[in-house]
Amino acid sequence: MIRPISGKNKAMQEAADLRPGTERAGDRITGRKRTVLSTGFILALIVLWQLISMLIGKSFILPSPIAVLESLWENRVEIFTVHFPATLKVVVYGGVLSVVLGAAFAVLMDWNELIERALYPILTLTQTIPVMCIAPAFVLWFGYTVKMRVIVVILVNFFTVTVNLYDGFASTNPNRQELLQTYGASRWQIFTLLRMPTALPYFFTALKVAVPWSVVGAAVAEWLGAPDGLGTYSRACMMNLDAAGLLAPLIVLTAFALILNLILNLIEGVSGGRFF
Amino acid sequence: MLKFENVTFTYKESHEPIFKEMSLRAERGSFVSIIGASGSGKTTIFRLLNGLEQPDAGMITVDGTPISELSHYASYMPQQDLLFPWLTVEKNVMLPMTVQKLPKAECKKKALEMLERVGLSEWAGHYPKELSGGMRQRASFARTLCAGSDLLLLDEPFSALDSITRISLQEWLLKQWSELNKTVLFITHDVEEAIFLSQRILVLTGHPVTGLREFTVPLPKARNRDMLLQPDIAQLKEELIALLRSEAKE
Repeated sequence: MIRPISGKNKAMQEAADLRPGTERAGDRITGRKRTVLSTGFILALIVLWQLISMLIGKSFILPSPIAVLESLWENRVEIFTVHFPATLKVVVYGGVLSVVLGAAFAVLMDWNELIERALYPILTLTQTIPVMCIAPAFVLWFGYTVKMRVIVVILVNFFTVTVNLYDGFASTNPNRQELLQTYGASRWQIFTLLRMPTALPYFFTALKVAVPWSVVGAAVAEWLGAPDGLGTYSRACMMNLDAAGLLAPLIVLTAFALILNLILNLIEGVSGGRFF
Repeated sequence: MLKFENVTFTYKESHEPIFKEMSLRAERGSFVSIIGASGSGKTTIFRLLNGLEQPDAGMITVDGTPISELSHYASYMPQQDLLFPWLTVEKNVMLPMTVQKLPKAECKKKALEMLERVGLSEWAGHYPKELSGGMRQRASFARTLCAGSDLLLLDEPFSALDSITRISLQEWLLKQWSELNKTVLFITHDVEEAIFLSQRILVLTGHPVTGLREFTVPLPKARNRDMLLQPDIAQLKEELIALLRSEAKE
């Protein structure tokens, strides 16, 4: 039986229908203006950082951005041939698995109300435990392995995907669903022709959150203990009071997350975001 | 022929039935409008006909067969166009055939044929947001035709349009009906629209609705807007308005 459509869903749909497509051009800051503004703001922050570090004058407390870049350049071989590939591996495995798992939970919950009622509280519960508290347990169970780090990334990430995608399914226009029913559409057809495309913008929103958090999750897991990875490198620098070395991997991690988000934006543009 | 025979229906959330032993009929090839006060159950008739709701009692038949034993017996056109924004106009029009799993080439051919009929063939590859309100309704009508049944259920299709577009689409619909030889059941709030388009007008009366007051429109199939000025038509309009007012007061 097709799940009934609630008033809440109707309201959500109205909100969804008013999302990007109905925005007036004048309401938004144009793309170029926005890039100039954000670049300017970032540059201002870097200049401020440089000034404060010069004022403090102690590089082991606050190294200047130039010192961080110098450290990155000096250790580029170790960072990019040993630690970055290790982190990349965890981000890719963890990211992909968390998206698959999160999407699977969302689909199951959308498909069956009983599953939703049973699963939702448990999934919420997993998010109430701080990752930093539960992660040491994973170290005990799985050791300092890639598996342990991937599990941390999944735990950090999957819920965002589940909740966003589930909300996306729930925002399906009930009238469109009934129209398909009048054509004799099966439940599967309603899902593929209507519910899935409706949820697509929500899915991309989830991915945009999940991608940087995969990077964060991997780094956190490496801090807990791992033979290699940018988090491990950062931790080793901290032990040596090498603040510039500690911050250098952050530049790599940030750039990596930004590139992944850029790729996502491109995919979103190609795959359907522009129709809404 | 479409028939409602002694249909009783109550919404789950309500204790009072909305229809009680209500009957109606629409002959093959006819254009019948249904009017009634707000909340009188006009759309519920279509929901029952579409199988979205099940009657508590009574029978709904098309050509003598209960609708529960039929498939694709009616094509529904909703009040809003409900075009899917992520599909091109052509793919939107193909939707009923996609659901019916017809061969893609056949779907495409028929969709283009219907788009040609509604004057939107040049817009086949465009997305709905690029279309005006009137064009979207015409695309929605083409999609309804692609569902392939002889019974068209049109639920206030022009109510959201401005008056000029509405008038031109009414004339356009009349032309389509005379060419297509389909049975049309048309829900509207607008008495003049009902008179201009229909051969018969059914007015929902009573709470719950037990019967439909039937009015025959004394106009030929080929008609124009000037005919609405005839004294007998003006009288019919007054009569319908008076009946709707009295129903709304009850």
